[in-house]
Amino acid sequence: MTSLDIDPSDILVRYNVKLEKAMTPKDAAAELYPKDELYRQIAVAIFDGEEDDVIEGLEKAIAAGKNPIALIDDALMVGMKVVTDLYDQGTIFLPNVMMSADAMLDGIEFCKSQSDEAPVSKGKVVCHVAEGDVHDIGKTIVAALLRANGYEVVDLGRDVPVDEVIEAVKAEKPLMLTGTALMTTTMYAFKAVNDRLLEASLNVPFACGGGAVNQDFVSTYDLGIYGEEAADAPKIADKILAGSSISALKEEFHKH
Amino acid sequence: MAINRYTKMAYDSADDMIFGKCKHPVKTGLGLEIGGGYTTPEINYAPRPEAGASKEKLVKEYQRITTDIMNRMVQVGFPAVVLETEHVEQMTNNPTWGGEVAHAQKTIMEEFHDEYGIKCALRHTPGDIREDRDYLDLRGDKFTVLMESFEEIAANGADMLSLESMGGKEVFDYSILRNDVPGMLYAIGCLGTMDMDFIWQEISSVAKKHGVVSAGDTDCSEANTAMFIGGGLLDKNLAHTLAIIARAISAPRSLAAYEAGAVGPGKDCGYENTIIKAISGVPISQEGKTSTCAHSDVMGNVVMQCCDLWSNESVEYHAEFGGTSVQCWGESLAYDCALMNTATATGQEKTLRDLFMLSDKYRDPQGYVLAYDNAYRVGEAIVKDGNDIYLRAKNAALKSVEIMEEGIAGKLEMTKFEKGALADAKAALMALTDDQDTFMSDCMTKYKEEVKVFLPENYGL
Repeated sequence: MTSLDIDPSDILVRYNVKLEKAMTPKDAAAELYPKDELYRQIAVAIFDGEEDDVIEGLEKAIAAGKNPIALIDDALMVGMKVVTDLYDQGTIFLPNVMMSADAMLDGIEFCKSQSDEAPVSKGKVVCHVAEGDVHDIGKTIVAALLRANGYEVVDLGRDVPVDEVIEAVKAEKPLMLTGTALMTTTMYAFKAVNDRLLEASLNVPFACGGGAVNQDFVSTYDLGIYGEEAADAPKIADKILAGSSISALKEEFHKH
Repeated sequence: MAINRYTKMAYDSADDMIFGKCKHPVKTGLGLEIGGGYTTPEINYAPRPEAGASKEKLVKEYQRITTDIMNRMVQVGFPAVVLETEHVEQMTNNPTWGGEVAHAQKTIMEEFHDEYGIKCALRHTPGDIREDRDYLDLRGDKFTVLMESFEEIAANGADMLSLESMGGKEVFDYSILRNDVPGMLYAIGCLGTMDMDFIWQEISSVAKKHGVVSAGDTDCSEANTAMFIGGGLLDKNLAHTLAIIARAISAPRSLAAYEAGAVGPGKDCGYENTIIKAISGVPISQEGKTSTCAHSDVMGNVVMQCCDLWSNESVEYHAEFGGTSVQCWGESLAYDCALMNTATATGQEKTLRDLFMLSDKYRDPQGYVLAYDNAYRVGEAIVKDGNDIYLRAKNAALKSVEIMEEGIAGKLEMTKFEKGALADAKAALMALTDDQDTFMSDCMTKYKEEVKVFLPENYGL
């Protein structure tokens, strides 16, 4: 066995160690929770990803007279925003967001079951994986992050034929369409989706990303906006809600 | 073919492992011996998107790619080369397409071999098409099409048969996004291995029938997914400590190919291959700094330490300033191999191996565990219970945890987050039963409930 060894600090820098924040995720979250104790308990359960505690907190709040549908915005989404803000800041990691999103969705379903009213989302997004491509973990992450940020997601699944994407956009009238693909040959379907949308005068922003997808390719079609990371999807949707045009979105999110 | 589990190490010590040599070299293709004393570049490529429009366009694209590579190899004086064609889905779903591409490529390679004497071989890797839109379909009609694809490529020029099989991925994708280490263990170590046992007996039978090489698999669909989600040092999507635990668990899973008749070389993106070489003695392909055309890498040098083939993972075929992409990346690979082969010829190979290893050992927990001395220890943990697919995978996970804890006590720096994820993973692993039946039964109940697309019949359960 080698007797060679090195002082690694001469060779490499562990920037993640060097820049790690002093505050723990729990401490950082504690500063962001709502003050109202009923809401706070639900927000903490969302942060911890504990579905049962979320339901318990909602039951308490409803018993105290809170409107179940209002609780979605006032407690569940507030708790989820703590999670997504800390994720955006790099304080917590993706699996925490996924587990919190699971708990939030359970909470939303519970609130809906307790009321005859229907909740209003920030907007609707249609998500799909390119025709011929069955690699869907990227789409799963995109859909979870969109839901975590208050969007209603229509998930078409994987290997989705172009016709089905067009029909879904016509039927759902989303504010944004997303497409993910792992392979260079399957991502070509995005161009066909773009052309068919334009033929039908459906000028919906089409956010694309995934393994082999790159900015150069997405730039070749009019509706395409390249998302380098899954976390870009809710940011693009937020910009659309704020009135950004497709060309403005390309300007902001095409970083290379 | 029968399953023969590994219960002892091929090498007496980690220090015996080196690049370019292995215990069981493989002769293949046109004059090539892999692991027989020299390293060889393995060039991998993807057609341009528009080439997938028809069979004729695809065949022409692969003819261009093959000719470009072979020309560059002889222009710069390299003695040997391997080409790997990873199928686009059309080539596997239409088995004759893959066969025609293999034939076209091999015809060109034979011409170069005849004219220049360059040693060469062709690996084909069909896509694992065994799924439909909603579910994995590992043993249904798609399995039949996949095996027809292997038959076609083996009959028409492919020298080595490989696959990146998908068994366990439906449970893995769910688990990895929820820090669920027992779920990863079930997905990769149990379900993955069960599917590997099934599919690699079949592939090895096809290889035997056609007199070609049953080469091996990689846990690309699971351990590489974890590695890619983990990303770079500053990415916030997965603790790298969890990514390397997934990798350690993938070693006994990918080992199952060799227990079912494969002989190597293992596929390039199997970062678990150093562990597998230590156990089995088969030759391995690896990728690292010269696969940055496909993905960034925090283990660019360390994975060269024991490679027999040195690969670029994949590059889209297009023009660069220095030629086409396959020529540029192929030339870089071949120069790396020339350096390794020079080290061997001058007796400096262990020094170079150790430089490769040390330059990355402390860069990331993944490289630390895969450094050949530590990888060997993971191998020992696997063969200790080699006949129990659950226990050996659990052993691999726990050994990787132990190695990382030693690293933290030494020169391996980690963030509080990485240490926390490691501690949580250790606690989850320590709480598990040692009984395979109990674990399998508990997981079956849990994941049938939680993962809607999990179909136990895919695994004969």
